[in-house]
Amino acid sequence: MLKKGDIILLIFLLVISVLVYIGYFTYKSGRDDYAKVAIISHEGKVIRKVDLDSVAEPIMFDIEGEYKNTILIEKGRIRVLESNCPDRVCVNTSWLDKIGDLAVCIPNRFIIKIEGEPEKVDGVTY
Amino acid sequence: MTRKLKLFFIFLTICIVLISCSKFQKPGLSEDFLMGTVIMQKVYGKNADQAIKAVNKKIADIERLMTINAPGGDVNKINEFAGRELVKVDKDTLYVLKKAWEFSNLSRGTFDVTVGKVVKMWGIFTDNPRVPNVSEIIDALGFINYNDIIIDESKSMVGLKTNGQVIDLGAIAKGFAGDEAIRLYKEYGIKSAFVNLGGNVVVLGNKPDGSPWRIGIQNPQTQQNDYIGIINVSDKAVVTSGDYERYFEKEGKRYHHIIDPKTGYPSDSDLMSSTIVTELSVDADALSTATFVMGLDKALAFVESLDNVEGIFITKENKIYVTHGLKDNFVFEDESKVFEYVEKR
Repeated sequence: MLKKGDIILLIFLLVISVLVYIGYFTYKSGRDDYAKVAIISHEGKVIRKVDLDSVAEPIMFDIEGEYKNTILIEKGRIRVLESNCPDRVCVNTSWLDKIGDLAVCIPNRFIIKIEGEPEKVDGVTY
Repeated sequence: MTRKLKLFFIFLTICIVLISCSKFQKPGLSEDFLMGTVIMQKVYGKNADQAIKAVNKKIADIERLMTINAPGGDVNKINEFAGRELVKVDKDTLYVLKKAWEFSNLSRGTFDVTVGKVVKMWGIFTDNPRVPNVSEIIDALGFINYNDIIIDESKSMVGLKTNGQVIDLGAIAKGFAGDEAIRLYKEYGIKSAFVNLGGNVVVLGNKPDGSPWRIGIQNPQTQQNDYIGIINVSDKAVVTSGDYERYFEKEGKRYHHIIDPKTGYPSDSDLMSSTIVTELSVDADALSTATFVMGLDKALAFVESLDNVEGIFITKENKIYVTHGLKDNFVFEDESKVFEYVEKR
């Protein structure tokens, strides 16, 4: 039979589990809804993660592969500024500033993506 | 004490189970560069990671079989032996070629995979695209004819009638790859998945919360993250062909990548983009190219004549037309304020 202490422990653990459960999803959905994290990957490997809202000064850097892409990050947004690849779709994609936004350089095999659950569409046909 | 410990572990387990079984489960994600484009997968379920791997492997296999941009594979072999002998091909190649012939025939040659010789001439998808001269094009047009594809199904052998003819599956192979992805997801017990093969979207089931997938239709005036409308789909392929996807410029003129098999030049219909929604992505891929080349009037009539096929067409005059079956589904949402949705015509 359960003693008094056991029952207290039981209730205590139940409260803890519910709190952890709620906390986990608050944290998770908080991230998905508000934080704009850009993930830059080259050849399928993540090379840099940037929380766009926490960027104070503009950041500029190059991704070198078969071609060279210059990335520019400002507060809340990111883009490919310059590229010597032949099709330059990545440059034409211009700024990414919404969750789910995407810039791809197929010749240089790299992707910039703002991670998270997009608000309005799950994907785009093009 | 031991009993308390036991209780503690029971609750810990409940905690973990609650979190992992929740409908907010994290999908398996992957982005891979295959078939000359980027393949993006979002897969829900416990076998998601294995399914993603299997799909990437399968797509790499399809690429090896069907590419003409690298040596080896079935299609290169068929082209090499064109006008001489039939060659033995994989069952996947056979299936895609049969599909290609079917849609060439159905579209009366506005879609034609024997367009390869002309595509090569333009250097489309290479680092050095060029504008061929008129006599070259007229000469090459003589090599385009889908009826010259010889298929011996029982022996799984394929050939071309004339030496110099070139099959290019660029407008249909990715479509087939999308169907194979869905087949593999099902094999791995997946109920909910999304795959985007360079703009060809194919979805399995609904999203994990039971709602359909929301697919944006790209704004054809830009390569930015911008769409002109949304459709809600489950178990469907949504494929778009447009003149904005890939192009090159010479002497101020823009040349896009979809060659009209009748003229040998980039298609010059009144359409900027053509989107097809249907069950199989191999069908959607061929039909989006065919309708893009046909132009608005023929495309609308053609798609309305087919069962379970719907379309969204955007003209160079920025007008959007949607087939009957999609009218209730399509949500016009144009932030650029450039387009006009023509509901009745």
